[in-house]
Amino acid sequence: MQAKWKAALIWLVLAVAGFYLINELIVVGVINAFIENMLVTIGINIILATGLNLIIGFSGQFSLGHAGFMAIGAYATAIITQQISNTLGFYLSLGVGMVIAMLVAVVIGIPTLRLRGDYLAIATMGAAEIIRVVINNLKITNGAAGMYNIPALANWPTVYVFVCLTTLMIVNFARSRAGRAIQAIREDEIAAEAVGINPTKWKLAAFVMGAATAAIGGSLHAVYIQTIAPSDFGIMQSISLLIIVVLGGVGSITGTFVAAIVLGVLDTALQQFGALRMVIYALALILIMVFKPSGLLGRYEVSIKGLLERKGGHHGTTDSHEVE
Amino acid sequence: MQTFFQQVINGLSLGSIYALLALGYTMVYGIIKLINFAHGDIYMIGAFWGYYVINQYHVDFGVALVSAMAVSAILGMVIEYLAYRPLRHSPRITALITAIGVSYFLENGMSFLFGANTRNFPQVIGQARYTFFGVTITNIQLLIVAVALVLMVGLQLIVQHTRMGTAMRAVAVDQEAAELVGIDPNHIISFTFGLGSALAGAAGVLIGLYYNSIDPLMGMVPGIKAFVAAVVGGIGSIPGAAIGGFLIGLLETFVQAIGLSAYKDAAVYIVLIIILIVLPAGLLGKNVKEKV
Amino acid sequence: MALLTVTKLSKQFGGLDAVADVDMHVDAGELVALIGPNGAGKTTLFNLLTGVTPATSGKVTLTTASGKVALLGKRPSDIAKLGLARTFQNIRLFSKLSVRDNLQAAMTHRYHENFFAEILRLPAYYKKEALVGGWTDALLREFDLTAVADLDAGNLPYGTQRRVEIARAAATAPRIIFLDEPAAGMNPEETAGLRELIEKLRTDFQLTVVLIEHDMSLVMNLAERIYVLDHGKMIAEGTPAQIQKDPAVIAAYLGGGVHA
Repeated sequence: MQAKWKAALIWLVLAVAGFYLINELIVVGVINAFIENMLVTIGINIILATGLNLIIGFSGQFSLGHAGFMAIGAYATAIITQQISNTLGFYLSLGVGMVIAMLVAVVIGIPTLRLRGDYLAIATMGAAEIIRVVINNLKITNGAAGMYNIPALANWPTVYVFVCLTTLMIVNFARSRAGRAIQAIREDEIAAEAVGINPTKWKLAAFVMGAATAAIGGSLHAVYIQTIAPSDFGIMQSISLLIIVVLGGVGSITGTFVAAIVLGVLDTALQQFGALRMVIYALALILIMVFKPSGLLGRYEVSIKGLLERKGGHHGTTDSHEVE
Repeated sequence: MQTFFQQVINGLSLGSIYALLALGYTMVYGIIKLINFAHGDIYMIGAFWGYYVINQYHVDFGVALVSAMAVSAILGMVIEYLAYRPLRHSPRITALITAIGVSYFLENGMSFLFGANTRNFPQVIGQARYTFFGVTITNIQLLIVAVALVLMVGLQLIVQHTRMGTAMRAVAVDQEAAELVGIDPNHIISFTFGLGSALAGAAGVLIGLYYNSIDPLMGMVPGIKAFVAAVVGGIGSIPGAAIGGFLIGLLETFVQAIGLSAYKDAAVYIVLIIILIVLPAGLLGKNVKEKV
Repeated sequence: MALLTVTKLSKQFGGLDAVADVDMHVDAGELVALIGPNGAGKTTLFNLLTGVTPATSGKVTLTTASGKVALLGKRPSDIAKLGLARTFQNIRLFSKLSVRDNLQAAMTHRYHENFFAEILRLPAYYKKEALVGGWTDALLREFDLTAVADLDAGNLPYGTQRRVEIARAAATAPRIIFLDEPAAGMNPEETAGLRELIEKLRTDFQLTVVLIEHDMSLVMNLAERIYVLDHGKMIAEGTPAQIQKDPAVIAAYLGGGVHA
C-alpha cells in the first residue's frame, strides 16, 4: 500500500480511537462534566488557533483580529438558532457565519494585507474592534448585554469532529499548491512575486480561510457556552489565541494542539488558586517564552507518513517538515 | 462654537495623556521593535504609586508626580532586564508574547495584592474652574496639558541634545554599528525603557487627578489607544507620537460630543486603518522600501 | 525577431537618473550580457523590466504567441507569468522551504488545483501533485539538486543556493531569464559549473538569457551580444570583440578594466 494511504488510514484510526477513548472515559466516570468542559474548550481553541496559525505561521501575516471573525460565527449561530432551534438551524447558522466571516475578511483583507508586520497586526486588531463595536450597538445582537439561552446544539462529539475536520482542512491546504504559495510569500514576498505568485491574492486566500475556521469556532462556542456577549470577543480574546499559536510554535499545527492542551489544562489546574491564578499563568507564560523562545515545538510537525518512510528506509517525496 | 472650543480643551487634556503614553511606545518600538504591551500597566503602577504616597505620606502633587516617575522608570528598567533582554535575539513575536505576559502579571499581581476594586484618587489640588467666553477650563486640565508639554519638550531636548539621546538615536538606526563605535546597546535600551516608563508614570498620576478613579486594569484600554496613537503618528517618531496622541484624544472627545460615544473606539480604529492605508508608515514615519 | 524590446526606458530616483532613455532589444534564443561599472544602473534596469520598480517613462514590449504585450505597469507576478524570470544579486530563496518546495512554489501559475480537491485530497489533487512532482524531479536532475531536494534552501552552501535560485527561475517555465551577477562570490570551480549551467539553459531549456556579470571572462565567453551601461545610459552595444575595443567602454571602466 502506498505510504500516503497508509498514513491517512493511521490518522483515521487514531481519530476514531481518540473518540472512543474519551467516550469510554466519560462512561466509566474518569472524565467528569468539569473535565469534559475543559476538553471542549481546548477543542474550540484548537479550531480557532489552527486557523490563526495558518495566517501567521504559514502565510506570515501578523493578524491580531481573530476574535472578530469568531464573533461573527458566534452571533450568526446565536441569532439563527433563536428562530430555528434544532440541529439543522445550527448547521445552517454555521454556514452563514462562515460566509459572512469570509466576506468580511475579504473587505478587511484587501486594503490591510499590504501592510507589513506590526502595522498589519494593529490594523487587523482595529478591524476586529470595529466588528465588536458594531455588534455592541446593533439591536439584532442585543447590544452589550449579549445573547443568552442559546440552544445547546453541540456537545463534545460535535466539537471533536469539527476539530478533526478543520485540522484536516488546514493541514491539507498548507500542504498543497496554495500552501506552497503562501509559505513562499512568508519567506520572501519580492522573490515570490518574481516567480509569478500574486501576494495579495494568496495572502487573502489564507486570511479568508483562517476567518472561516474562526467562524466555525465561534459558532461552536455559542452553542456550547450558550451565552455570548461582545466583550467575549475583544482584543484579549485575539491575544489569547495568539498566545496559543506562539507558545506552540509559529507554523507548527502540532504545536498549536500541544499549546492549546497545555494552556487548557494549566487553566483548569489553576482554578483552585483563585485570585493568584492569573498571576501564575502570566509567570508561566513569561518563563516559557524566555526559556523556549521558538515555542514548545518550534516548527516540528508530527508526520506519520514521514515515520513510515523513515522506517521503510526509502527516501520518498515527503512533504513533511522534520525537526528544524 | 462654544461647545467646539470646550471639546478642544477636553480633547487636549485626554490627548496629553495619550501622547505621554504614546511616547514610551514609540521610543521602545523605535529602538527594539517591540510593542511593549506592559506599557499601559506601568501607567497604572504610576497612578497607584501616586495614590499610595499621597494617602500615606501626605506629600504634595509635585512630589507624587516626580516620585511616581522615578518608580515607574525603575520598574520599566527592571522589566526590560528580566523579561525582554534575554529575548534580544529571539523572534519578535516571542518578545511580544512576553510583553503580554508581563502585562497580565502586573494587572493580576496588583489585583491580587491590593484588590481589584476601583478607588478614589486623593484630590491633592483643589479644583478651580475658569471660564473664558463661555468655555470652562479647570486648573487640573491646565496642569495636565502643561506638565505633558514640559515633559515632551524635556524629552525632545534629551533625545536631540544629550550624549545619551544621540546614542539612543544611533542604536535605533543600527544597533551593530552603534556597538562598533563604542555604544553599549543594553545600556541605551535600558535608559530608553526608563525614560518611556517615567512618562507613563507621570501620565498615571495626571489621569488619577483628572478622572479621580484608579483600578488595576486601568492601563489596558488607554495603553492600546496610545499605541494606536503612536502608529498613527508614525511609530519611532517622537513628534509623531505627540501629534498622534493629541489627535486620538481630540477625535474621541468629538465623536463623544456629537452623541456617538458608543462608537468612539470604532472611530479611532477607522481613522487608524484609513491613515495606514494612505500612509503605511503613519503621519511622520519614514516608509522604508526594501532594496532589491 | 525581437522577443523583448525596450524603448526610451527611464527611471528617476528623486531627480537622479538611475536609468536614462535606455533602448535595447533581446532576440529569441540570444544570450545577451549587460555590463557596466558599479552603480551604472544594471540592477535597476532588471527591476524595471521585471516590474519590481515602476518606471518613470518608456516602453517595454514582449512578443508573445498572441501578439505584443506592453509590460510596464504590470505587477511583477503578471510579468513572471508572461515568461520573464529572474534571479537576484543578493540571493532571495524561500529559506525555510525545501529545495523541492522552492521549485514547486515557482510553478504555482503553471497548474491549477481545485480548492476542494486540495483540502479533501480528492484523486484530482494527487493527479496534479504527481504531474508537478514529475516536473520538479526533472528540474532537480537537470540542475543536479536531487541530493539536496528535501533540505531547507537556506541551509545550503552559497554556490548551491545560486543554483537553486536559477533552477527556481527556470521552474516558472519562462521565455527569458535574467541573471543578476550569478557568479558573484563563486570560486573558479563553481564559476565553471555555472557556465555549463547557463549553456544548459539555452540548449536544454531553449531560454533566452540576459546576464549581468562582473566576471569578464564569463561574459566574453558566453555572450553573443553585450550592452554597456554607465551612469544610467547605454553607452555601447556590440559583440564581445567590438566591446573590448570600444573607447567609450574603456573610458567608463577607467581606462582598461575590461579583460577578456
